[in-house]
Amino acid sequence: MLSLPIVTFPAMSQKDYAHPEALVSTDWVAAHLDDPSVRIVESNEDVLLYDTGHLPGAVHIDWRADLQDQTVRDYISPAEFAAVCSKNGIGPDTTCVFYGDKSNWWACYALWVFRLFGHEKVKIMNGGRDKWVAEGRPLTREKPHYTPVNYPVPPVRRDAEIRAFFEDAKKHSEEKLPLIDVRSPGEFRGEITHMPEYPQEGVLRGGHVPGARSVPWKTAVNEDGTFKSREELDKIYTQGCGLAPDKDIVAYCRIGERSSHTWFVLTYLLGYDKVRNYDGSWTEWGNRVRAPIATGE
Amino acid sequence: MSYPAKLQQIIDLFEALPDEEKRETLIAYADQAAVQAPKDGETFDLEDVRKDEECTDTVGVFLSVDLDRKVRFRITLGPQVQTLTRAMTAILCKGFEGASIEEVMEVPADFVPKIVGAQLVRQRSQTVYYILTRMKSACKVWLNRERAAA
Repeated sequence: MLSLPIVTFPAMSQKDYAHPEALVSTDWVAAHLDDPSVRIVESNEDVLLYDTGHLPGAVHIDWRADLQDQTVRDYISPAEFAAVCSKNGIGPDTTCVFYGDKSNWWACYALWVFRLFGHEKVKIMNGGRDKWVAEGRPLTREKPHYTPVNYPVPPVRRDAEIRAFFEDAKKHSEEKLPLIDVRSPGEFRGEITHMPEYPQEGVLRGGHVPGARSVPWKTAVNEDGTFKSREELDKIYTQGCGLAPDKDIVAYCRIGERSSHTWFVLTYLLGYDKVRNYDGSWTEWGNRVRAPIATGE
Repeated sequence: MSYPAKLQQIIDLFEALPDEEKRETLIAYADQAAVQAPKDGETFDLEDVRKDEECTDTVGVFLSVDLDRKVRFRITLGPQVQTLTRAMTAILCKGFEGASIEEVMEVPADFVPKIVGAQLVRQRSQTVYYILTRMKSACKVWLNRERAAA
């Protein structure tokens, strides 16, 4: 009997995504660790995880210390973004590959912020840090030092294109436009105010924005944190939720990191053109005076 | 407010460190967290292994109290516990060495920012307080049992 080798086609399934170039494998990253046109960027929830070991040559960009304004709940200015890039040796043509813990929540968040400032060449390492570690690939504690490069100050921050604010979410709620809540089912129903297993803090009321549909971020990933196939994602979002590439969609979670993950799925893997991330999310809506909420299913 | 002597030494060390060295020292303590697990042959007066909402993974607290009421803690941490919490685990186990059970109960939580720095005590890092809470909780149970047995 003829024995055939088992052949898998990861590249074939990946190329089915709307923008397959935005997602790279751990193999691809391993082969580009020394590529001067590529900068590997780690972004985590665990504030010290990078210091315990990271991909060789990877820089650390912290979602709060590096990307957020320290006095206003907002992102840094274009000039500050240029400075963050410059000090990490990132030029306007550098390909930034983001990875991190928690199935790439914060990697997607950092990528989304880079897109806010118009940085074009961005990618996610599929499966994130956990996959790299599970494969036994090398980590180092040696922090790289790159020569600062000139990063022109972006003329604008593209808030209007990919970011939603409270009033935008309110409009979607009132006009029954596509509004998806990517938190856990318990948070959506109002039974808990933070992710399961996290300290229940930071928001006064539990529930969801009236009219929002619950589509937890986790539905988009496999057990190992890699993204599901194009076909599976289409079933979840296009067929399951009635979303479409040309619809004006707002996604939210608690502080905008899990919804960044869904934003990446809808924008890059499914090719939806009008997706905005409401980063104020439930910690704004749930605390806001006179903002209506819904509870239960 | 005074702290147990060894904890005070650790606080003094961290307060003297610049931020970068503070991070490196925290990592060094985090690396020591696994050493705080119970060792073969050790017995305890109280074992409390559970998974709470306040932490991202299972934490086991093992307490023994000697005849002089001095405590010895051992702690196990699940793999999802964050680095900062691992560091605090090692710090507290070492810091409470030689302390009495009453001293542990009276330790205020205000030393945490002194050790980790205000910048790192922030959203999603609040579980650094969780280990102290669990250790005190174990002490409280032990004291309640002692009173009940009296």
